Amino acid sequence: MSLLKNKIAVVTGGSSGIGLATAKRFVEEGAYVFIAGRRQAEIDKAVAEIGTNVTGVKADISKLDDLNRLYETVAQKGKIDVIFAGAAFVEKQMTTTVTPEHFDETFNTNARGTYFTVQKALPYLNDGASIILVASAGKNKGLPGRSTYSASKAALRSFARTWTSELKEQKIRTNVLSPGAVDTPMFDEQFPSRKGAAEARKQITAMTPLARLARPEEIASAALFLASDQSSYVAGVDLPVDGGLTAV
Amino acid sequence: MKRYEHKKVVIIGGTSGMGLATAKMLLDGCARVLVTGLSKEGLESAQKEIGQHAIVVSSDARSLTGIDALASQVKAEFDTIDLLFVNAGFSIPTPLGSVTEAIYDEMFNLNAKGPFFTVQKLAPLINRGGAVVLTTSVANVKGLAGQATYGAAKAALRSLARTLAAELLPREIRVNAVTPGPIDTPILGKVFPDKDAVAQIREKMSGMVPMKRFGTSEEIAKAALFLAFDATFTTGAELPVDGGWSQL
Repeated sequence: MSLLKNKIAVVTGGSSGIGLATAKRFVEEGAYVFIAGRRQAEIDKAVAEIGTNVTGVKADISKLDDLNRLYETVAQKGKIDVIFAGAAFVEKQMTTTVTPEHFDETFNTNARGTYFTVQKALPYLNDGASIILVASAGKNKGLPGRSTYSASKAALRSFARTWTSELKEQKIRTNVLSPGAVDTPMFDEQFPSRKGAAEARKQITAMTPLARLARPEEIASAALFLASDQSSYVAGVDLPVDGGLTAV
Repeated sequence: MKRYEHKKVVIIGGTSGMGLATAKMLLDGCARVLVTGLSKEGLESAQKEIGQHAIVVSSDARSLTGIDALASQVKAEFDTIDLLFVNAGFSIPTPLGSVTEAIYDEMFNLNAKGPFFTVQKLAPLINRGGAVVLTTSVANVKGLAGQATYGAAKAALRSLARTLAAELLPREIRVNAVTPGPIDTPILGKVFPDKDAVAQIREKMSGMVPMKRFGTSEEIAKAALFLAFDATFTTGAELPVDGGWSQL
């Protein structure tokens, strides 16, 4: 299959987990992919793993200069058809212990970083491009310890609505992809201990109708749908890929 | 009527519009009320209108030190409170391409970060069985061109209502949001300084609302007070008061 033949895609948070699985899938479908991440070693590993038709760019989306540099690099190859905005920051904190620094780091990456990831891309986007914002099933829930993370992801869901209105002339579609718990390194990193992570896995499995975590490849499939013409009449929506967590 | 006798209430953004209308309704019901505001005109007119019965405080809802100082003052005046109404907020309509970092930060600081830390700092003063009411906006579920940052910040706030509701459950404090559509308040004149522009916007917005009119500040006040004192089996919810705009 080659649903993205000759397309150029940018994947932020592309060096691990959901982003890496998506970048791989996009390349398999014929796209040239630029992956952006914060850690050079991880980027190099991901580029080697994907193999061909991929360029890695070190970029922290919370830094506007990094975004400028990212798009200048992409522009040398051509105009962009797909943006998969997957970079995110997560740290579990109860409201009483949230510091302004934690609040800012969460919002600066998840909401502000994603906002400018798209704004800075505007001059480089082809008409008919597809923008995919990765949110979270948790944004529709009231999960203790998730106040800042969920709220920052809820902001993304709102961006998709507004940008659907603002970018309609260029036929650019913006949609949200909302994963439930996914079996990735980031899932475990948000817990202080292995034991905590194992317990969280058990708890989420119990809450989820499909009774398991998602595989990164399952998120990539949904991303491919939203990125390609398969979803040509889908705009401004929120697609949950959460094993039924928010549906029941 | 002494409907709100012995109730102690703090209203953030209570010197004009919806906040002021709520303060008046509470004062009519014999509550003790503290309102905050920032603009000099707002503080002076509120002092004149309700200053005999209510405490009018100058406080910047975006400033963390301001919020700390407010918490100390509330503690000194009231010791504990029954309702925290977090109502301050406004929009700077700007299309995606022209949003600067400064506009982005202003929208999120005022509409998301400020409210978060206001709840964090004042929640310890809320009595068991008390309530928090947050003012969101229909913009949080609509894609209104020019409202990407405001709508997203309000969507973040809507998400906070869910998480904070979960976290404050053990203390039997309910957290809900009232969601205004277009309301006839002085803020419209602040957002659009040009008088002709205001008239045009007013006509356009009225046309979009199923009820074909603006709501009144009193209609918001009634809903906020319903959520605060009567909706005893409702938490984490959002009550649209928008002439049907977000629902029909």
